[in-house]
Amino acid sequence: MSKRYWVCKKEELEPGACKLINADGRSIGVFNIKGTLHALRNLCPHQQGPLCLGKISGTMLPSDVGDFRYGLEDQIIRCPWHGWEFDVTTGKSVFKSDQVKLKTYPVTVESTTSKSTVETYKVTIEQQSVILHA
Amino acid sequence: MDKLKKRPAKGNELQLSLVDTDVHNRPRSFDDLLPYLPAGMRDRGFLIPEVATSGYANPMGVLRRDAVPEQGGPPGSCRDTLAKQLLDPYNIDYAVLTGAEIVGIGTLADYYYAPIMARAYNDWLIDIWLQDDPRFLGSLIIAPQNPVAAAQEIRRLAPHSQIKQVLMTSASRIPYGQQFYHPIYEAAQESNLPVAIHPGHEGSGITGPPSAAGYSSSYFEKHTNISQGYMAQVTSLVCEGVFEKFPKLRFVCIEGGFGWVPHLMWRFDKNYKGLRIQTPWLKRLPSEYILEHVRFTSQPIEEPPQPSQLLELFEMMHADQVLMYASDYPHWDFDSPTAAFPKLQKDLSERIFWRNAQELYGLG
Repeated sequence: MSKRYWVCKKEELEPGACKLINADGRSIGVFNIKGTLHALRNLCPHQQGPLCLGKISGTMLPSDVGDFRYGLEDQIIRCPWHGWEFDVTTGKSVFKSDQVKLKTYPVTVESTTSKSTVETYKVTIEQQSVILHA
Repeated sequence: MDKLKKRPAKGNELQLSLVDTDVHNRPRSFDDLLPYLPAGMRDRGFLIPEVATSGYANPMGVLRRDAVPEQGGPPGSCRDTLAKQLLDPYNIDYAVLTGAEIVGIGTLADYYYAPIMARAYNDWLIDIWLQDDPRFLGSLIIAPQNPVAAAQEIRRLAPHSQIKQVLMTSASRIPYGQQFYHPIYEAAQESNLPVAIHPGHEGSGITGPPSAAGYSSSYFEKHTNISQGYMAQVTSLVCEGVFEKFPKLRFVCIEGGFGWVPHLMWRFDKNYKGLRIQTPWLKRLPSEYILEHVRFTSQPIEEPPQPSQLLELFEMMHADQVLMYASDYPHWDFDSPTAAFPKLQKDLSERIFWRNAQELYGLG
C-alpha cells in the first residue's frame, strides 16, 4: 500500500530537473523528463550509489561498427559511481535492460488547496502540486 | 587519535576498523602550488603531461558529481567534504592520500623540472593535508625518470611521521626493475617506505603505448588494459632481482587490478624452472618474491558473475597476505567498503580492510 508524498509545486519541477524526496527513509528522485514526471529509487543496484545525483543526458544508441548515433536525449541518467546508465522513463538499464532495472513509482499532478489568513481576509490558495506515490 | 587509543587492544596490537589505501586529494587549482616552486620557476607552472591531450580522457570525466564540495572547487579539494563523505560515514581510521594528476609528472621529458614539481607538491601536501588530522597519510610523489633526484626527495621527507610511502606513475619509459631505478629502491628501503605505482598516465608523455598491443582508440580499451602494465612491472621487479638486492623493500600496485595475480605467479614459476639460467640471482620461486614483497589494492574490484568466484580468486592470490582495501574516492569508479565485496570470513575481512595495510605502513 503506497503513501502519498507532496514533492513540490508543479512549476518548481522544470524539464530536466530532479527533486530528491525522503519517503520514510527511502531516497527517491522525482524527475521532469520533457514534461512528463517520473520517479526512481535513488539507489543504484550496483553498489548502492546515489544514482539520482548523476547527470541527465542522452546516450549512444546501438549502432554499426564505426558509427555513432546519439539518442534518448535528456532521458538517460548516469550514476556518479561507475557510470551505469538508466532510462529515467522506464527505470531500465541501457545495458542488459531485461535484467538490470530500478524501482519506479507513480507520480501525479493534483490540485491542492491551503487556507490561510491574509490580513483580515480568509483566502484559499489553489495550486498544482506534484505528488509521489511510494 | 584519541578515538583510536580508546579501542581495545588485543595483546599489544591496535585494532583498527578500516584503512583506505587510495584517496585522491588535490588543490582547488594547481596555481595554489605555485608558491612552492623555487624562484625563477613559478612562471612555468605545473607541466603535467595531460591524459586528455594524449586522447585518453574519460568521456564522462573521472570525478564523482556527487563529491563536489559545497564551498566549490573540484572533488577531492576540500578536506572537510572528504572527511564528511568518506572518513566519517565509513569509520575510516586512515586514508592514504595519492594526489591527483600530479603523479603524471613522471611522464615528462624534462627530467630536471619533473622532480622540482614533485618537491613543490610534497611540501604543499605536508602544509595543507598532513596538518591537524592524523587520519591523513601522505604519499611522497617522485619523478622516476630522474632516480637520483627521486632518492634525494625520499631521504628529505621520509622522517615526516605521516609520510608513509613513495608514489610514482605506473606508466614508465623502461621497466621498473632495471638498474636505472635502483637508487629509488635503495633510498626507499633505507627509509623504510614502500614504493607504490598508480595508473592513469599510460600513453602520456615519454611512456610507451598504453597496452602491449599498441595504441587503443578509446579510454574504455586503455582503462581495461591497465593491468597489462602492472603485470610487466611486477615481472620486471622480480626478474631483475630488485627484491634480492633490496630484501626489505615493499612494492604496492595501486588500482591495477588483481585477477591476473594467480596467472602471473603460476606462469612465472613454471618458466623459472626451465629458464632460471638467465636470472641466477633469483634464489626462490618468483611467486614467493611476489607474495612477500608486493601488495595490491582492491579497487577497481573484479566483478565476476558469481560472487563466490571472487572468493576463489582471493584464495588463489593469497589475498589474506597481499590485498588491501581502496576506495579511489572521489573518482568515478569508487568502491564502497560496504557494497563492493561479497560477505567475507572475519579473518579475511580484517586482513583486507585494515590489517594488511596496518602491517605495511606500520600504523599504530
